[in-house]
Amino acid sequence: MNVTKRFGKITALDHINLSIEDGEYVCVLGPTGAGKTTLLRIIAGLLEPDEGEVYIEGKLVNGVPPEQRNAVYMFQEYALFPHMTVWENVSYGPVIKDWERDKVERVTSEILEMVRLAERRDAFPHELSGGMQQRVALARGIASGARILLLDEPLGALDARLRVDIRTQLRNLAKDQGLTVVHVTHDQEEAIMIADRVVILREGRIEQIGTPYEIYSEPRSIFVASFVGGANFIEGNVVHVDSHGSTVELRGGLRIRVSNRDRNVGERVVVAVRYEDVTVGKRREDGSNNLSGVVESVLFIGGFIEYDVKLENDEMIASKILLSEVKETYKTGEHVVVSFPPEKCYVFPYPKTSLLKEIEAV
Amino acid sequence: MLSKARMPLNISNIVVWATLGAFLIFVLLPTFYLISYVFLRWDEIRVEVFENPIIGDENWKQIVNVLFFSFRLSLSAVAFDILFGVPLAYVLARKSFPGKSLLEDIVTLPLVIPTSGFGFSTLITWTTRAGIGGLLGLKSGLTTLDAVIPFLNVPFVLFLVHVALTFPYVVRTLETKFQSIDVTFELASRTLGASSLTTFRTILLPLALPGLLSGAVLAFARSLGETGATLIVSGVSTTASIAIVRWASEFKLATASFMGSLLVMIAWAIILPIELYVGRKGRSLRVPYQLPTSLHNGLIKFERLASKRLSRVKDVVPLIVVLITVIIPIIVVLNSVVLYWSADPYTGRVQGGVVYQLFGPSNYFNSLLRATLTSIIVALVSTYISMCMAIPLAFIIERRWYGRIIRTILKVPMIIPTSSLGLSVLLLWGSGGFNLVTSGIWMIILTHIVFSVPVIVESIIAAYEGSGLQMYEDSARTLGATPYNALETVSLPLLKGGILTGFILSFTRSLGETGATFIVMGRDVTIPALVVNMVEALAISAALFTSTYLIVLSLILLAIIRLLTRRR
Repeated sequence: MNVTKRFGKITALDHINLSIEDGEYVCVLGPTGAGKTTLLRIIAGLLEPDEGEVYIEGKLVNGVPPEQRNAVYMFQEYALFPHMTVWENVSYGPVIKDWERDKVERVTSEILEMVRLAERRDAFPHELSGGMQQRVALARGIASGARILLLDEPLGALDARLRVDIRTQLRNLAKDQGLTVVHVTHDQEEAIMIADRVVILREGRIEQIGTPYEIYSEPRSIFVASFVGGANFIEGNVVHVDSHGSTVELRGGLRIRVSNRDRNVGERVVVAVRYEDVTVGKRREDGSNNLSGVVESVLFIGGFIEYDVKLENDEMIASKILLSEVKETYKTGEHVVVSFPPEKCYVFPYPKTSLLKEIEAV
Repeated sequence: MLSKARMPLNISNIVVWATLGAFLIFVLLPTFYLISYVFLRWDEIRVEVFENPIIGDENWKQIVNVLFFSFRLSLSAVAFDILFGVPLAYVLARKSFPGKSLLEDIVTLPLVIPTSGFGFSTLITWTTRAGIGGLLGLKSGLTTLDAVIPFLNVPFVLFLVHVALTFPYVVRTLETKFQSIDVTFELASRTLGASSLTTFRTILLPLALPGLLSGAVLAFARSLGETGATLIVSGVSTTASIAIVRWASEFKLATASFMGSLLVMIAWAIILPIELYVGRKGRSLRVPYQLPTSLHNGLIKFERLASKRLSRVKDVVPLIVVLITVIIPIIVVLNSVVLYWSADPYTGRVQGGVVYQLFGPSNYFNSLLRATLTSIIVALVSTYISMCMAIPLAFIIERRWYGRIIRTILKVPMIIPTSSLGLSVLLLWGSGGFNLVTSGIWMIILTHIVFSVPVIVESIIAAYEGSGLQMYEDSARTLGATPYNALETVSLPLLKGGILTGFILSFTRSLGETGATFIVMGRDVTIPALVVNMVEALAISAALFTSTYLIVLSLILLAIIRLLTRRR
């Protein structure tokens, strides 16, 4: 599809081109206001695009009402019908589609069994916990016979702990049923964990599409690098390019080596280094960029230790070290050397607006 | 709802057009006809009102007098409502205490009780031995109908009745508004060092202003249009709505319609700007002026002092108002019906007793039975027709871009004085206009539809908003429901509460309406009109019985409303 959607003067989606394979689990990831929900509603048929075409299973569905698209939209608040029991909610699709009585009974009870809610079949939605409601909503979608599941922040209304438990269940369920899923979220961890492919959406445009691994290891923009995983961003100028890589001069005359050779000498760039690719030590390491500095703060976060180190040019670099790999710890004020290998440096042209804006858009 | 996936069915378009058409003919046309009538028949009006060959412009002078009196009465009643309604609404919204829902019901009572019955209760409470006068051991009533409140120059009993009838609008609207305001704002203000009065003035009042204004508008409109009770307690004074009824029954149609449209136009001039202001979402009062610092500090100090002293007063005084205006009259009338059952307890005359008057030569019992039948048929038929119009109309208001306009127009029948409305219907459908319907039960029904539709629409909309209906419907659609399926299985069941409430409200309103009914009823007398007739015929005991009957009837309806709204 190639779709544009405008709300008055605001362009919510700008020529989005996206194709999704049968049975694929796709996460659409982006900050609030990126157009994720609009995209989902257009697929569902709840909104019509101003330009462009939507195809489902090879058929053009522009103008086809939602009930004929076989794509179930699941709201963040689940939209369980409050005046119906669990059973009535789940059997809603089959009943409304006039399936035979036996089939309705069978399908509904099978699916309720599957989401482990058979015992609560006569309960009303408000009597269930958030997790149960979520399962009912899912069951209702699956029972309707839809092949496409459109999930709008499906885990957003759950508390943090439950969210982690349920997200893998969600994926397994979809895979077992052979469903095609478009899952919208703003939680990068969630997307990375469960998606076959991740679509990064920003201000109505697609920033990058790829497997979670690609997105993480080969971010195509500053925004993606910062939104997924996060990184140190350092400004500099390319001063030298050779067959092994390039040399970038940072503020204060510090120089680092990067493997990337795509930028020209003299170009202003931003170098991104993931926190976990930066190590902190007393000695310089061979084959890495080594910069000396002073420890500004030490934070212990669960399985990691995070150092903030102030370099000689007053820039800050953060490092995240797995607790199991920590050999020696350093205190605030201690002189250390930070090291990171050239091949772990991503180089981007300096953004047209400002670096801060690209990162803060998250 | 921008470019929402359109309904593919042509049926939906047919429904929309049919609804809009019916709305135009049965609601809009009667509402606005009166004004156009003035322009169409200007020559006639000029002769009758301004250049009458016999009395000159005497009619015009009367109109001016009556209008001034009416506005003075309504404005002072609303001012009184606000003064005592604000604290009561606050207490109801923020405190919980035993008997709270009972108190809410009592405050609401005058909305449900047919006003002529209520007016009669107030009348005997204050002006006869059966009321407070008797309790105090006097041989006569505590006061007379002519007793006037100094400064306001408004008859005391009339004022009381108008306060009682308009009080619920201010209290209930404001209560809902207060409840919708997060209590943490107040808590924050208090912890920052403001006294409770200062908090109220600077935080709560500005936020609740739209509620206060719309409550005041409803109260004002109600008072201007009130006829049933006013006919009974007005004595020698004449309000605008009564004047219209009288003139219409004297066939001074030109004068009556001129007066009616003046009333409507002045009422709009006052109400519409307020409505427009309130209608914008998220409005609150931002006082444009700044008090001088010294005065401001003084005010705050005063408020700190007064906060402590006033807290009891604030709780108790509104209760006394409710007691005097609502509870006592009702108790008195119930009590009197027992006292007067077989004979007048003071003179001992059997002719003064309820039984004699009902079953004696005048046979009011028979009239009462007929009136009950008429009232119930009118209420059922007009409510039913209004429902058929109101349900699709509510959806149109919520779903179409022109919905807001329709909703604003729908406010008009709610604030139009009902006697003007009755006159308008009479002129439109009756012999002077289309000549399709003659005075009588069908014309009563046509009139009641005009004010029933907005009442039902409003309660459906209230249920619609905040129900997340769009989401449920969208959900049903993606699960495979057609628009019609979704409407039937999801939307209507979810709106059931609002629809039922609208039904009951419209039914009670129709049952109790007097002003418009009086003008269009012809020989088909309804119960409230019967009370007025009885009082005018001095059949006091029969009126007592009928009033009690009306009050009991409406108490039952109120109980039903309670049950319906509580279940959700």
